[in-house]
Amino acid sequence: MFLDAGKYIFYFLVFPGFIFTLAVGLISVWIDRKVTARVQWRVGPPPGQPLYDILKLLGKETIVPKNSNKTLFLSAPLVGLGSVTIVSVILWLASVYKISFVGDLFVVVYLLMLPSLSLMIGGMASGNPMAATGANREMKLILAYELPFLLCLAIVIIKSGISINMVDLAGNHVMGSISGVLAFLISLLCIQAKLGFTPFDIAEAETEIMEGPYIEYSGVPLALFKITQAMLLFTLPVYLISVFLGGLNFRGLGILWTVLKYVAILVVIIVIKNTNPRLRIDQALKFFWRFLTPAGIVALVLAIIGHISGIDWL
Amino acid sequence: MSENLLLVPVFLPIAVGVLVFFIPKMVKGVREALSLLTAAIAFVVVFLIFRMEESHLFISIIEIGDFNLHLDLLSAPLASFILLFATGFGLLISLFSASYMAGKERYKEYYGYFLFALGGTAGVFLANHFLLFLIFWEMVTASLYFLITTGEPRAREGATKSFAMIGASDACLLMGVGILWFLNRTFVISDINLPAEGWLPVLAFLLLMVGSITKAGAVPMHTWIPTASEGAPASVMAYLPAALDKLLGIYLLVMISTKIFVLGYSLGLVLMIIGAVTIIAAVMFAMVQHELPKLLSYHAVSQVGYMVLGIGTLTPIGIVGGLFHMLNNSIYKSCLFLCGGSVEKKSGSNELGDLGGLSRSMPITFITALIAALAISGIPPLNGFASKWLVYQGVLETGKGGSFIFLIAAMFGSALTLASFIKVIYSVFLGQKSKYTEKVTGDSGFAMVFPVVVLAILCLFFGIFYRFPVEQFIAPGVGVSLTPMGIWESPLATILLIAGIALGLIIYWIGRAMRSVRTADTFVGGEKIEAETIRVEGTYFYDTIKELPLMEKFYLSEEKGHFDLYILFGKLRAWITGALQFLHNGILSTYLSWSLLGIIVLLCLSIFLL
Repeated sequence: MFLDAGKYIFYFLVFPGFIFTLAVGLISVWIDRKVTARVQWRVGPPPGQPLYDILKLLGKETIVPKNSNKTLFLSAPLVGLGSVTIVSVILWLASVYKISFVGDLFVVVYLLMLPSLSLMIGGMASGNPMAATGANREMKLILAYELPFLLCLAIVIIKSGISINMVDLAGNHVMGSISGVLAFLISLLCIQAKLGFTPFDIAEAETEIMEGPYIEYSGVPLALFKITQAMLLFTLPVYLISVFLGGLNFRGLGILWTVLKYVAILVVIIVIKNTNPRLRIDQALKFFWRFLTPAGIVALVLAIIGHISGIDWL
Repeated sequence: MSENLLLVPVFLPIAVGVLVFFIPKMVKGVREALSLLTAAIAFVVVFLIFRMEESHLFISIIEIGDFNLHLDLLSAPLASFILLFATGFGLLISLFSASYMAGKERYKEYYGYFLFALGGTAGVFLANHFLLFLIFWEMVTASLYFLITTGEPRAREGATKSFAMIGASDACLLMGVGILWFLNRTFVISDINLPAEGWLPVLAFLLLMVGSITKAGAVPMHTWIPTASEGAPASVMAYLPAALDKLLGIYLLVMISTKIFVLGYSLGLVLMIIGAVTIIAAVMFAMVQHELPKLLSYHAVSQVGYMVLGIGTLTPIGIVGGLFHMLNNSIYKSCLFLCGGSVEKKSGSNELGDLGGLSRSMPITFITALIAALAISGIPPLNGFASKWLVYQGVLETGKGGSFIFLIAAMFGSALTLASFIKVIYSVFLGQKSKYTEKVTGDSGFAMVFPVVVLAILCLFFGIFYRFPVEQFIAPGVGVSLTPMGIWESPLATILLIAGIALGLIIYWIGRAMRSVRTADTFVGGEKIEAETIRVEGTYFYDTIKELPLMEKFYLSEEKGHFDLYILFGKLRAWITGALQFLHNGILSTYLSWSLLGIIVLLCLSIFLL
């Protein structure tokens, strides 16, 4: 019992939970900034820069706007942090150690919605009109990408022979079929939106609504949001690898292959981010509902036909 | 002795309900006290019944050949478990009403009908005789009508509509019961078990199904709930459409799909389609509503979809999930309606555009509403997630390729629900204060706060320890054992979430945020504008979606009532009576020739038959 408790605390706090995820997340943020800089013909920051930024924020004073709900404003970032840590642990344990922990695929998908929720609630609690606009855009963005994202989820479940256990899904070969590849590509774009990266940085939109929900945040709570964002930058690609690309594997040459998969997804996300202008919210809705959803439906139909008739490559 | 206990929750509220009408006008406070006391006694007695062995009370009333009416009460485990919740809601909401209804014009009758509904509900859950069942069922329908009329004058339209729609569905129920009697020659519910094959049993099932989904409020028989919400007291909405009607309708649906009939896949599919359409259609309407009770009432419809979907899967886990969702829905939905009532009472408005910034003046109501709103959106680890999670697995276990459509509809419906509650939370509790909410100081009184706090705690409890009600009461009540295909260790997840929050607090402590917190003006692009004067109204949050080309048509035809069976039937009736009017021209010779024609037809028939 105590051993179990100790084990869970270690999972959660150190590895593969908070500290590990944050460390890899910060490296990923650095990769993001470095690649972005190279694309723009700049030199880019040193590897420690994302960490220095967070440390600097921790030392700053916290400013709370006058007509905000102070408790909610300060506690909103905490929920996102907790949920992204749990997701990271679930994915890592299922994928690397084949251990079922806390929840299944449905739980992961719902927990992945919590960081966005905490951002929206925090923004709305600040009492700032810009933040309210941003929070509302964030919600519409969730509605936009959630539909194709769920279609891809159904394809993943079908390809695993109707299982929602993360351990089964991690050993699943989705990419050997047309529907699987389509689902992966669609999910990749949904992940882009989940991360709030251009062209889907509509909720933050610095040049229009000045970071939207983040506008009133400063000091420690802002640092907490930055930490959550960095962790998501690691967790969401790991989610893609777990359910689409056969999971993580650290035996022998597997290490190289796993790192390659992760870096490849990261670089694709960063390149999309740097080569596209921001969409308007209605354009984003149309993009996800008019283009990706029909594509997802086609893929789902193919997957169902493949499942019924036993043709693997559909 | 113990079986006589079954009479108490049924006939005590009815008797006291009659008594309440005779209390003179001048006497104040007695009605509230009596109704609270009756509900409390009913709750305690039902708890005793629930703890007892299954008991049976039988008193013969009339018997003519095969046709009989007996006072036949049976405390089945599932029914008494649900009844425990029904009386619990009765208790909490009568406490809430004591404060909420005070000063309203017709609060005197209110308690009478309130108790009738409670007694009727207890009767439905305990009755083991279909005619008795119908009598109590009608009693709830009638009290619903009267309870809605106790609201504002404009509530009458909604009351009539509710009565017409539920009344029509009750007629279907009656016909279904008639067919069942024809097939089995018995009215005893526990004796009936027949496969739904052949046209007559299928017809009987469909008729009973119409009765149950109208009571619960699924598409296309849902429209009475939103109309009733316009003007009905919030406590009535929380009591009947949100709680008791759901319990009754879904209980009947479970009974007919598991006990009374043995269903095949195709009838299950009908239920699943109704469920999925209900989830999506109703929540799309809810998103764009401007009036708080109406928005909530569309959600009361949408949530029924999950229950019907779960039951329609016909898998043990789906049915248990559907029943669990029914309980969860009545908990958070009545909590939300009561919070809405509290806000309305305090601020004097229930238009979303008129409200805002109440989170600081009504903190407890805000926290409870937030918990209930997150629970209905299926945010883990709250109760809405646990039951939805069971329903999703039920859908997967049907093993049919097409069922993925239902899975996606259900999961996407949950995101849409979150969207409309983000709007509610923002427009009512966060954002800027309005001229209505400026004057609100302090939360509602104990009588209005206590019930919502209890309900919010139940949301948390049923979410974290979901195994307890599901494995102890619901699954044995349905008579199945559960083998979930998924994993959801809710207590562990809760502990980890709390650990995550503690971690964040440590980071706060490291950053010494607690020591230097500065309060500053809201930043509005550096302009010297009072941020309070810029009101971003939540009402318009989803107009972007409303204005998408296809959606526009969808919403337009909803506003015109193209999806409302009540209005469609009204038009049909107008058309038919229009045609008949043509015959009533007041000329004697026309009437005489019609009479002659009738006599000839009758003569021909009698010659043929003889």
